[in-house]
Amino acid sequence: MPQQLITLTVNGRRTEVAVEPRWTLLEMVREELRLSGSKEGCGTGDCGACSMIVDGRLVTSCLMLATQVDGRDVVTIEGLATNGRLHPVQQAFIDTGGVQCGFCTPGMIMAAKSLLDRTPSPTLEEVREGLAGNLCRCTGYAKIYEAVMHAANAGK
Amino acid sequence: MAQETEVREEEMQREYRNVGKPVTRIEGAGKVTGETIYADDMQLPRMLHAKVLGSPYAHARIKSIDGGAARQHPGVEAVFTPADLPEYKKNFSNRRGVIFPDEEVLFYGQPVAAVLASDPHVAEEALALIKVEYEALPPVVDPITAMEESSPLVRSPLGDVDRSEERGHVTVGVEQEEAEGKPSNIASQMNFKRGDVEAGFEQADVVVEHTWRSAVVHQSYIEPHSTVADYDASGELSVCTSTQAPFYIRDELSQTLGLPENKIRVTATEVGGGFGGKIYLQELMVAALAMAVRRPVKYIMSRKEDMLAATPAPQAVIDLKTSMTRDGKLTALKSRVVYDSGAFPGAPMLPGCLLVGGYYKCENLDIQGYEVLTNKVSVGALRAPGAHNVTFAIESHMDMMARELGLDPIEVRLKNAVEEGDPLPSGQPYPRIGLKQCLEAIAESEVWGRRNRERGTGNRGVGLAVGGWLGGLQPASAIVCLNSDGTINVTVGSADITGTNTSFAQITAEVLNVPLEMVNVTTGDTRTAPYAGMSAGSKTTYTVGRAVKLAAEDARQQMLEIAAKRFEAAPKELEMADGVVRLNGSDEKTLTFQRLGRLSTNFAAPFPAVVGRGAITTRKMAPGFTAQAAEVEVDTDTGEVTVLGFAVAQDAGFAINPLSVEGQMQGGASQGLGIALSEEMMYDSEGRLLNGNLLDYRMPTTRDLPPIEAIIVEVPSEEGPYGARIVGEPSIVAGAAAVGNAIADALGVHLTEAPFTPERVLRALGKL
Repeated sequence: MPQQLITLTVNGRRTEVAVEPRWTLLEMVREELRLSGSKEGCGTGDCGACSMIVDGRLVTSCLMLATQVDGRDVVTIEGLATNGRLHPVQQAFIDTGGVQCGFCTPGMIMAAKSLLDRTPSPTLEEVREGLAGNLCRCTGYAKIYEAVMHAANAGK
Repeated sequence: MAQETEVREEEMQREYRNVGKPVTRIEGAGKVTGETIYADDMQLPRMLHAKVLGSPYAHARIKSIDGGAARQHPGVEAVFTPADLPEYKKNFSNRRGVIFPDEEVLFYGQPVAAVLASDPHVAEEALALIKVEYEALPPVVDPITAMEESSPLVRSPLGDVDRSEERGHVTVGVEQEEAEGKPSNIASQMNFKRGDVEAGFEQADVVVEHTWRSAVVHQSYIEPHSTVADYDASGELSVCTSTQAPFYIRDELSQTLGLPENKIRVTATEVGGGFGGKIYLQELMVAALAMAVRRPVKYIMSRKEDMLAATPAPQAVIDLKTSMTRDGKLTALKSRVVYDSGAFPGAPMLPGCLLVGGYYKCENLDIQGYEVLTNKVSVGALRAPGAHNVTFAIESHMDMMARELGLDPIEVRLKNAVEEGDPLPSGQPYPRIGLKQCLEAIAESEVWGRRNRERGTGNRGVGLAVGGWLGGLQPASAIVCLNSDGTINVTVGSADITGTNTSFAQITAEVLNVPLEMVNVTTGDTRTAPYAGMSAGSKTTYTVGRAVKLAAEDARQQMLEIAAKRFEAAPKELEMADGVVRLNGSDEKTLTFQRLGRLSTNFAAPFPAVVGRGAITTRKMAPGFTAQAAEVEVDTDTGEVTVLGFAVAQDAGFAINPLSVEGQMQGGASQGLGIALSEEMMYDSEGRLLNGNLLDYRMPTTRDLPPIEAIIVEVPSEEGPYGARIVGEPSIVAGAAAVGNAIADALGVHLTEAPFTPERVLRALGKL
């Protein structure tokens, strides 16, 4: 399969990648850039485990082609912690017990971060609305709601 | 044993420093940063990707398979049809005994061939080039029709059925009768009888009789089944797989592939959700392919494959007749319990039969169970397998009888609830249990508090239900080592699917009286770790936790003996606290753990290394009960049911980590709510799955679930560490019944089929 060279910023670093036209953004990030934190739970945009932030907007990276991010800015779960310090949302997920099996967690945290970037002090209803594209099978979401509210308060 | 009990009672009165406290996951940082490695994150040199071809028929005979064109496809390394597989010990009576069927396909999506390539896209393309000629056979889809004598047979007759996997989930001393005689679609059956049910119905003031249906539901772990296998030049097979049961897989692979167990290394990679569905499935195929090509092979199920060809939970049809006297005493219970097992045996008929008559004292019982085969994917465990189906029936009946008699639903349940010593339908007596305490706790919940306030306001209602699970029993072991710097390593063989390793750190830190940070816990692989049963049946903390406690006590004793020799004192004159051993009352005669570590690890050290060992078996169950309350609002125009509030009270025995226990309660309850509201695998008349994706198979989202209230009840078990009992599974059991009872409270109508979709609600209201 012929490859195409694209240039993008991933977690703050500019990078060039040779991609096949059929690769998804998720596939490029996991297989080519070897950032395996973003997960594939369904491949059809239903579960949100692959959530990333592209040019400031939350996307399901399994539904985006790699060629579509040419020239754009991509943030993955690996881009949240800085110098070994966890992002407040990451810390809140640990502290409140919002992490169980961990497979939805990276995507859920990206969705929570995106929500808080837009709505720094959300109500419970806004949290439920903001995370509705991300499935979690372990927690029943209760402790995830707590984590997001907790992170919002910590950010004040 | 007597001594152990005595020690425990002493401990119950002590103030604990580590157990009983909410503790965050020891592996949490890896999970929130994405650093944790799941099976699909593994990359090995020369690794090939497997893609699998599934059958387009639910029942068919394979006339021929031609992999020739697929083999010619550029980039394909190998194609495997049934004829190309290496030799293995087949058992066509069990799902796990068949890689690809030689002849008869038994369910839609059943794997029939595989392709290996370095590029997964290439392997996928080549699947389309495999030519399979099928002769379609009549599929049998409905379990009740399948039971009729006139029904076509689902499959060629069963031979030697192996029930070992089911016993990992629930371990009770009861056998089911395997079908004998004339071939039929009934794989097995069983009967429990006590007293005289007809006489019991005669004595009663109210008799209720209904049929209760529940759907095939999928575990829907977010991580699909994922396995990487490799077979090296020394003849060792390594399997890294998302499983709850590494030792079980090792033992099965050994028997099936003819390799000794010490040449098989099964690593349970981090499990991205299992819920009973990740025991042993595709590992045999991946191992066989890796052995055939002598290269690492990775197989990750697509979501669609996982829904078509993993092991979902069965649908069931429960006929139930119950009766009660005016003062609320249950007098008789008669039930026919039918589980649809799909194309292979393995349905949870046994726990279903035990639990339908297992929550309440009842002198007259007649419970008949059937495990029926159909041409659907074969079923597996889902969190308390089989329990929710029968609980929906019995708990709806309890409410219906209470309502007819004008009695309070909690009072009626308390009056009949089983207690220690009461018999299960099998006659086996219950050990100490906390069903009544759960009912008392749920009565105090906020949700139940709204019960009478909501009456008559719009279409809101509040209902409750109880549920329980008996749990599995398997031996377990653990090792606790003192490092040279005084820190502690714990090694176990159990996959950590619920935060158990964090609890093991707490137990070890408690025994050694040190801060939690001094302890680390590892799940080893089957070559390095001491044995543990599968992480299923809610038993990991109950069994492995006890082994860890013994291992920590052993290490403690060894450390005290070293110190006693140094101080020329008796071990009982010593005290251990905060990483220091000290002669009672002395400020000078002290040894730090670090010093003890060096004294037992340095060159020419005077003492042997400190290695604590714990190994247990148990035959005593520690059943877990729950009581749950739901508040719902029903839109009588659209039929939509909204859950406004949900509360779970559950007996954890002793919550070693309340944060994890709450998480288990809320998570299980959310799955129960999915069963209640929306989850249903739908099949057409040809046995084809219609909704094999996570959009059309609707599990609860954040929009569906309010924060779930968790109320921990603690009635200590007899043998669990610090009184802990089984925790993981009971929370899923009562959701459908509690929501059904809440809907009945709102509308005055009981829905008899779950999930309670808008269509079923409108039908119940006579609007469709």
